[in-house]
Amino acid sequence: MTTIAGTAPALAAGESYLEHGHGLRSWLLTLDHKRIGIMYLAAITGALLLGGVFALVLRLNLWRPAGGLVSNDVYNKLFTLHGAVMVFLFVIPGIPAALGNFVLPLQLGAKDLAFPRVNLISWWLYMTGAALFVATLVSGGIDSGWTLYPPYSLEESRGLGILLALSALFVVGFSSILTGLNFIATIHTMRPRGMGWFDLPLFLWALYATGIIQIIATPVLGITAAMGFLERLFHLGIFMPEYGGDPVLFQHFFWFYSHPAVYIMILPAMGIVSEVVSVFSRKPIFGYRFIAMSSIAIAVIGFFVWGHHMFVSGQSRWASLVFSFLTFLVAVPSAIKTFNWLATLYKGAIDLKTPMIYVLAFFAIFGVGGLTGLFLGALATDVALHDTYFVVAHFHFVMVGAELTAFLAGLHYWWPKMTGRMYGETSGRVSAVLVFLGFHLTFVPQFLAGVAGMPRRYATYAPAFQANNRLSTVGAFVLALGLVVALAGLVVSLFRGQRAPANPWGAASLEWTTPSPPAHDNFAETPRGNKPYDFTGLRLVSEDAGWVRAAGEGRG
Amino acid sequence: MRQPLHSLLGTVLAAGYLPERASSVAEGVDRIFGFIFWLSAFFLALILALTVLFVARYRKRPSRTEPEPSPSQNLRLELVWSAIPLALVMVVFAVSTRTYFRMSEPEAGGPALRIQVTARRWSWWFEHPGGKGAGDLHLVAGRPTELVMVSTDVIHSLYLPDFRLKQDAVPGRFTRLAFKPILPGRFTITCAEFCGTDHSRMTAQAVVHPDQASFDAWAREGTQAAATLADVGRAIYAAKGCIACHSLDGTPRVGPTFKNLWGKEEKLADGTSVRVDEEYVRESILKPGAKVVAGFANVMPPVPLDEREMQGVAAWLQTLRDGP
Repeated sequence: MTTIAGTAPALAAGESYLEHGHGLRSWLLTLDHKRIGIMYLAAITGALLLGGVFALVLRLNLWRPAGGLVSNDVYNKLFTLHGAVMVFLFVIPGIPAALGNFVLPLQLGAKDLAFPRVNLISWWLYMTGAALFVATLVSGGIDSGWTLYPPYSLEESRGLGILLALSALFVVGFSSILTGLNFIATIHTMRPRGMGWFDLPLFLWALYATGIIQIIATPVLGITAAMGFLERLFHLGIFMPEYGGDPVLFQHFFWFYSHPAVYIMILPAMGIVSEVVSVFSRKPIFGYRFIAMSSIAIAVIGFFVWGHHMFVSGQSRWASLVFSFLTFLVAVPSAIKTFNWLATLYKGAIDLKTPMIYVLAFFAIFGVGGLTGLFLGALATDVALHDTYFVVAHFHFVMVGAELTAFLAGLHYWWPKMTGRMYGETSGRVSAVLVFLGFHLTFVPQFLAGVAGMPRRYATYAPAFQANNRLSTVGAFVLALGLVVALAGLVVSLFRGQRAPANPWGAASLEWTTPSPPAHDNFAETPRGNKPYDFTGLRLVSEDAGWVRAAGEGRG
Repeated sequence: MRQPLHSLLGTVLAAGYLPERASSVAEGVDRIFGFIFWLSAFFLALILALTVLFVARYRKRPSRTEPEPSPSQNLRLELVWSAIPLALVMVVFAVSTRTYFRMSEPEAGGPALRIQVTARRWSWWFEHPGGKGAGDLHLVAGRPTELVMVSTDVIHSLYLPDFRLKQDAVPGRFTRLAFKPILPGRFTITCAEFCGTDHSRMTAQAVVHPDQASFDAWAREGTQAAATLADVGRAIYAAKGCIACHSLDGTPRVGPTFKNLWGKEEKLADGTSVRVDEEYVRESILKPGAKVVAGFANVMPPVPLDEREMQGVAAWLQTLRDGP
């Protein structure tokens, strides 16, 4: 084929997807995966802000041991909604639904996802679920924690807010299932000519592995929510001991979804890291097949570790032994990925642009998050640490720190493609440093508080933990400031940013061969598959023109 | 409760921050903790050092615009860095599981002290051998102990940080926790499973007596003397967990305070009022939702009491008045 990368911006005639159709209706009813991705991005940003404000109020209440800013009951509602909004409306859909939606077809050189209408339905289901969460909040909220453990959550005296929350889970779950289904179908059927499975960009391997989890695990969440709904209304005796049910059964069902859901959060993050670390080291990713296969290994083994959330629930110790063993096993693929990323840096030409700084932050944060998981997978130490702030800090390192830094890396990385504008490097780098520092200041003291014995979900606490909590509160505001700087920088760039060339980073995957922003149909002509990490022949022409691949070079 | 740096080799940094070791399993748990801590510290240091080193050496700069040629795969390297973490986590799994199984074996050292534990919002109740119930857990240093736990409402979790132990109390089933306290003293008990409004205030003390004689002396206190009706009432207050919501010092908590309650005209949520007498007390205990005091939520569960207990509560409430 003739290499279109260099001359594409001029040739690919036609308006960008942003100008294809005007007015609210052209967005809300669009079948364009790029517009749906942008709508997801707007929605999850709203969820992040809402959940973030909840978090700041929680941290302020913990400034003093006796609390006092809000009542205990309000505190309990706030941490419940903080968790539910962040997990179900930000972290789980964050990378796949927002960035994945936009990038996946472009990386395949395709016009759209396999099922564009289903994709639109996904977004509407997500919005419906989000509206139900907001309705839960408006109708008085729920205070059972995002884990919704019965009997507490399903007690008569807790009111009917739980029914709204369960409905929200059910609906949001379907959104996630449909997205996963769509991604898997698209990767199977719409790879371009010349792109074998091992020519897929690693972000797509990550989304594929995520899709497997989404379509197998999420139905269990829906079923559990439905059972909880019926139990609350008709007292069937599934989960509530007073009707003959077993509350621990709920925990099994809940974690059968919610532990794999952790991998729904982290696998796409790992995919972004694999893209960014290669592009900004200007080197092919090291150990492609091992990274790709470790995504699949994590997705598969991740299904069998849920019982490690229940080591002190009265579970048989032999069951605990098996779950502990499998938990340690699932740690290995993450270690493999980490070493491969580091090896990619070796002898590279490392360009410290904002996405790369976020990825370096990811290495440190994911390192801590993953390694502290060893303490919780080990039976002997988990008994003491379970349900303490050690757990809170651990999962925030993985689900917030690692996921958020990777998300911001990906957002800055694909921002020029999505908007046609370059973000400002200064605000981007400042935000990355603030997020990194603020994050550690927030959560390292929580590890220490947990080791010293402070349980989680405490509206008040023993005075001995005051120093830990104050540091944590200060850190939360630094972290928030970092996010505000990132958001402000991106918003400003929409109006003041330089026009982005087709390929501002010198990346080799297909999305960079089409103009920024792409036309409605993505590609003027269907590209052939290429090697996504083969940078030979790519030369930086100028800041305005970006990187261009000399004709005949590389295997593009 | 916190003690300065332990000098145990290899766990200096980690263990220095840990709570006291008040049970026979704590030392073993801390040894695993220290092992994982140093293993993690090594790998984190490795990751950070390599990241910093590579970024410093290979940063893109005018003198370095292109990467150096280097392979993009190496099977032997991949196998090495797959096998080493695999072997290490299997070692961690093995030693940790061995310690955990030892934790759940019966302890040597004589017949176990069996204590029935009742968890409810938001207090603990411990029935010790010999019929002595208390809001604090009384133990004997060096004597194996078995807690048999139930919950009357939602899931709670008995957490003894200084013992490195935790066990959920689940409604509808019995759960057990076996251990041996080794250090006399008073230690904190908290609830680790979220249970509502005063979850963070659901605390108690574990009192470890230095020897059996001290425990026996405590267990005899108060049980021999003929109890007056007011004593019966006071015991009910502690045993049924009224203490969690009803204060005795005049501060309203989840429910109204009991101080100066007797004989008072209470304003009710429906606008009427009622005088606090035997009949109102009985109704409020058996049917708490019937007459809810203004300003409080209708959250109290019914508490079935027999007639003598009911009389006792009424007699005791009368003693809580300042005036005549």
